[in-house]
Amino acid sequence: MMEKEPLNIIITGVGGQGNVLLSQLVGKVLVRGGFHVTIGETYGASQRGGAVMSHLRVSRQMQYGPLIGEGQADVIVGLEPIETLRVLAQYGNADVTVITNSRPVFPAAVSSGGAKYPTADEIASAMAGLSARSWVVDATDIALELGPPILANVVMMGTLVGSGILPVGAEAFETELRESLPAGRDGSSADRLAMNLEAFRRGMAAVAP
Amino acid sequence: MTTEVKGGLSLRADVIDRGLCAGCGACVGMCPYLVAYRGRIVALDDCAVEQGRCYGFCPRTATDLDEASEAAFGAAYDDAPIGRVAEVLMARAARENVREKAQYGGTVSALVAFAIERGIIESAVLTGSDASLLPAGVLARDASEVLSHAGSNYVAAPTLAAFNREVQREDVRRVGVVATPCQALALAKMRASPMENRNHIEKLSLVVGLFCTWALDYSAFAAFLAERTPLERISKLDIPPPPANVLQVIAGAEKLSISLDEVRRFIRPSCNVCLDMTAEFADVAVGAAEGIDGWNTVIVRSGRGRELVEAARAAGAIETDALPEGNLSHLKGASLGKRRRALANIRAMTGSDDDLLYLELRPETRRKLLAHGPSESK
Amino acid sequence: MANLATFEEGTRQLLMGNEAIARGALEAGIGFAAAYPGNPSSEIIGSLADVARDAGIYVEWSVNEKVALEAAAAAAFSGVRSLVAMKHNGLNVVLDYLMGLALTGTKAGIVLVTCDDPGALSSTEEEDSRIVAKWANLPLLEPGTFQEEKDMTRWAYELSEEMKSVVLIRGVTRTSHARGDVEIGERLPPARDARFAPSNPVEFTSVPAPFKHMLANRKMERVREIFESSPFNRYEGPVKPDLLIVTSGSGWFYALEAVRALELEKSVGILKLATTWPLPEKLVREHLSRAAEVLVVEEIDPFLEGNLKELVGEDPAGVGPVRFYGKRSGHIPAFGEINPDIVTAALARILGIEYRAVEPDYSQKALALTSPFTHGRIVGFCAGCPHRATFWSIKNALKLDGRDGFVSGDIGCYSMAVGPAGYFQVKTMQAMGSGTGMACGFGKLAEFGFTQPVLTVCGDSTFYHATIPAIISGIYNRADFTLLILDNSATAMTGFQPHPGTGRSATGENTPTVDIAMICRALGVRVEETDPFDLQGTTEKVLDLMRDKGVRVLIVKRECALVRARKEKPAFKMRVDSERCLGESCGCSRLCVRVFQCPALTWDVSQGVAGIDEVLCAGCGVCADICPAGAIIREPAE
Repeated sequence: MMEKEPLNIIITGVGGQGNVLLSQLVGKVLVRGGFHVTIGETYGASQRGGAVMSHLRVSRQMQYGPLIGEGQADVIVGLEPIETLRVLAQYGNADVTVITNSRPVFPAAVSSGGAKYPTADEIASAMAGLSARSWVVDATDIALELGPPILANVVMMGTLVGSGILPVGAEAFETELRESLPAGRDGSSADRLAMNLEAFRRGMAAVAP
Repeated sequence: MTTEVKGGLSLRADVIDRGLCAGCGACVGMCPYLVAYRGRIVALDDCAVEQGRCYGFCPRTATDLDEASEAAFGAAYDDAPIGRVAEVLMARAARENVREKAQYGGTVSALVAFAIERGIIESAVLTGSDASLLPAGVLARDASEVLSHAGSNYVAAPTLAAFNREVQREDVRRVGVVATPCQALALAKMRASPMENRNHIEKLSLVVGLFCTWALDYSAFAAFLAERTPLERISKLDIPPPPANVLQVIAGAEKLSISLDEVRRFIRPSCNVCLDMTAEFADVAVGAAEGIDGWNTVIVRSGRGRELVEAARAAGAIETDALPEGNLSHLKGASLGKRRRALANIRAMTGSDDDLLYLELRPETRRKLLAHGPSESK
Repeated sequence: MANLATFEEGTRQLLMGNEAIARGALEAGIGFAAAYPGNPSSEIIGSLADVARDAGIYVEWSVNEKVALEAAAAAAFSGVRSLVAMKHNGLNVVLDYLMGLALTGTKAGIVLVTCDDPGALSSTEEEDSRIVAKWANLPLLEPGTFQEEKDMTRWAYELSEEMKSVVLIRGVTRTSHARGDVEIGERLPPARDARFAPSNPVEFTSVPAPFKHMLANRKMERVREIFESSPFNRYEGPVKPDLLIVTSGSGWFYALEAVRALELEKSVGILKLATTWPLPEKLVREHLSRAAEVLVVEEIDPFLEGNLKELVGEDPAGVGPVRFYGKRSGHIPAFGEINPDIVTAALARILGIEYRAVEPDYSQKALALTSPFTHGRIVGFCAGCPHRATFWSIKNALKLDGRDGFVSGDIGCYSMAVGPAGYFQVKTMQAMGSGTGMACGFGKLAEFGFTQPVLTVCGDSTFYHATIPAIISGIYNRADFTLLILDNSATAMTGFQPHPGTGRSATGENTPTVDIAMICRALGVRVEETDPFDLQGTTEKVLDLMRDKGVRVLIVKRECALVRARKEKPAFKMRVDSERCLGESCGCSRLCVRVFQCPALTWDVSQGVAGIDEVLCAGCGVCADICPAGAIIREPAE
């Protein structure tokens, strides 16, 4: 596993997709692993259907600022394809790893104005042309097989871990899932945990070589 | 020559926002964008369609009178002073109760009720109004319903909105419309329209036209009347023939006389550019018989109209008589006067003899119309 | 699971900046915390409310920031350490009391945290709060790291009690809403001997003002001395730098990374100030005298920059020639938020260094491959939001009415009705309650020829916050307007905090409900109620109200879609019958996707029909009522 100093991760999506929760989960695991973590988030009004971005800085040595500079991302994880492309164009570079969920959330320009949403091919080739490694994952489809669509963000967490770019392994993430999902007295919480673990593993499998 | 049909945005720009809207309702009831509300046609949102039925049917958008005439009568536009004439006569409803309720001779009510009874049509779109004089189109299915809506209040009504709405129903088949001149023109444009016919225009089986010099704008006129008497008490409005120059308002036992000079400012601007006094695009057109109390002037224009009048006369639904020559020449003079005034107003608006606003005429028709000579604008 | 109150001392936790501030206050032993929600500050009191029971403290959402500060000051006057937090707009609201408090002083420590929003990411305007410290002459702290946000908050209470003065802490979005790992400290318990006992008749007043003003000025001299040796002010770099960066708050991380990116560690020094009013003058002069060029890096206004120049102006010879760069010189923009790229570019430009963060080839390729697709997203109402339905009805009612009526707007989720989300219906928007305030003016212009019907909107939380006095003023002065209270049972935009209408307190207890309709009726105005999902009924009610006179109220009541979704399953299952859908043709022209614009309505370009995005659809059913073809099918959900 690479240890770049600092490791710059961007997680992006549309408001309401669980972007913030995902970045927090990743951050917590890394702090547990003894790293300095800073997460910068853009939300608030943008939650209402706007683009959301989390910048994560990971370092052994020191704390970094909450914003990544242009062209400085090491890995970009997108819960929505247009947002992935947007972030890639601004923060990507020839060495970046980029992974996106395939499920579109149509902007108003497309549904009301007649603008075109990129095709699967256009998305994949743009990503391939602007990165060292890229994957398109049907995270929402996987989520819907297992439960509610919001599970897509756990699937994408799996892809991030599966890409091997993080300095922490899968076990630490599974531990975090076990601890952060609230314990209940009935079987439903156990089901919920199982669902999340499965989503995580399916995500990892989706980017396995 | 086919006139260009544009979309809803152009309808607003070319007609509504320019104050040319006749309030006939031809554009209403086909989509969620245009609605009729208290005498106004309101665009709730902007439609993005490039060619719309609203624009195609509107009597104040690009109009080729020959095209409309061919659709209504199968023949080119007749520029005679009172339009295409098969026969001119006087008539009145045979039944006294009809004459009492209606305007002048009650011929319109009698003809429409007869047409339903005889099965020529199954129902008719008429103009009714509510307690505050707000007019709207209504569908009448029998004679008594027809009679209940007899009478006029001189206010522009979006009657065709009801036509557009009612023809969508499965149980509405052959329908007639009692139409003002602008409404009759709109119906002719609907027949002529090259657009996909989701308006079931084939259901239109009869157009009974009303003579009209002008129509009033509802909101302003209603407010004006309401200052003088509560609207709910008004049972009848009447404009006696010149030289009276008054509007008579019958409110219960009261009879108010209001000078027409005060009322004329509520005339819809669209009427100033209207060439048609005698409903030239109707199958049969009906108006007052000036100076002859209790009788109507009737102009038969089409085969459909002739069949109806003859059948009604034969069945005793109407009584007829010859129209005195003086009345006919007076009618022609008045009709021509309205046409000339309209043309003068149009040229004043456009500033050019070549631009006739909404009239896109074939060269021969244009030449004939303009040959009638100018008149002072009103 | 451990929480903010129960984290073990010595552990490292990933905390939001606001949580770090909250933890710092807990470690200082506060007992009382109050606020009105406002981003980026909401989580300070929000996170304390979540752990109030475990921490044994009192936390409340007050109706507005003024009451919050007043209540917190009362606690401090009675010996209980207290915390107030707000966004910059809230600081505007508390100014009157704050000026009085500055002269009054305090007994126990009281800290006021103000969080600015550079770039107005969650606000309707941007402003720099720091000037208030100079204006009121109060100590100002600007923590630069997450650890400092905690530690400086804790220390602020010692300072506040030593100086018997309220202390201001300023954060920005990038310090408040960002997260970083923080080492947890020891937590003190709150005082339990609360008592209000003035030792002289005017101890807890601001009078006599000139005398107390003199005392306050004297206090600040002592604060300056304390700041001179504060460990939170730090210098990194060579003894005699070619260029000195002076920075505070979020600027510090950016400055650090800019210096690294340009590899200037040997020639550029960074003076990080965390105590920025009063300035630690000796320390600052010391560093200014060792550099000829200074770049000031700060958020929003040239506050620090201006104060440094004042300092130099007092003794120019002492410091020697200094050339300043910053917002006044245009090297750093004087609007919007700063970021590492801006600081790097400024530094490079001053020092004449060529620097490109991104390879030009990559940039060009990125532009070519992505720009056809990266359509902007409009910020709009969520699927199922009652405001969409409300503004649809308002739009139609105004058009039908035909007298050129308009809506004077206010602050909340419904502020988005300024834009396409709400059909551009809201025409003015400045501050909480200002919609009705302005309606009081618009509604008195008839004598000047004004004939347009006046509508105004406010939310339920805004109603309690600021609108009530404006309604009373309108009634008293006989203004003509209709107020639509958009009651969605939430302070939604800031994160669904409870308010006096929700029956629940900040800490989850049942509380009395203050009923909006009852208040309005008690004021003696015409009050109607409507369900916004009843489009026809709402439109008719608005039309009817517009024809009336005086102050009229329409309560538009339906729960926020997101609040509802947490408790209940969707009411309806929605789908489009593609056979019936008229799509682009005359008679529809894509009304649902093009005009109504619910984000859950999709458009299939190849088939030319509308569709429902099942993931986004909230199942509210409103779209079925606007479809002209009856193609949107609404079925009760199982």
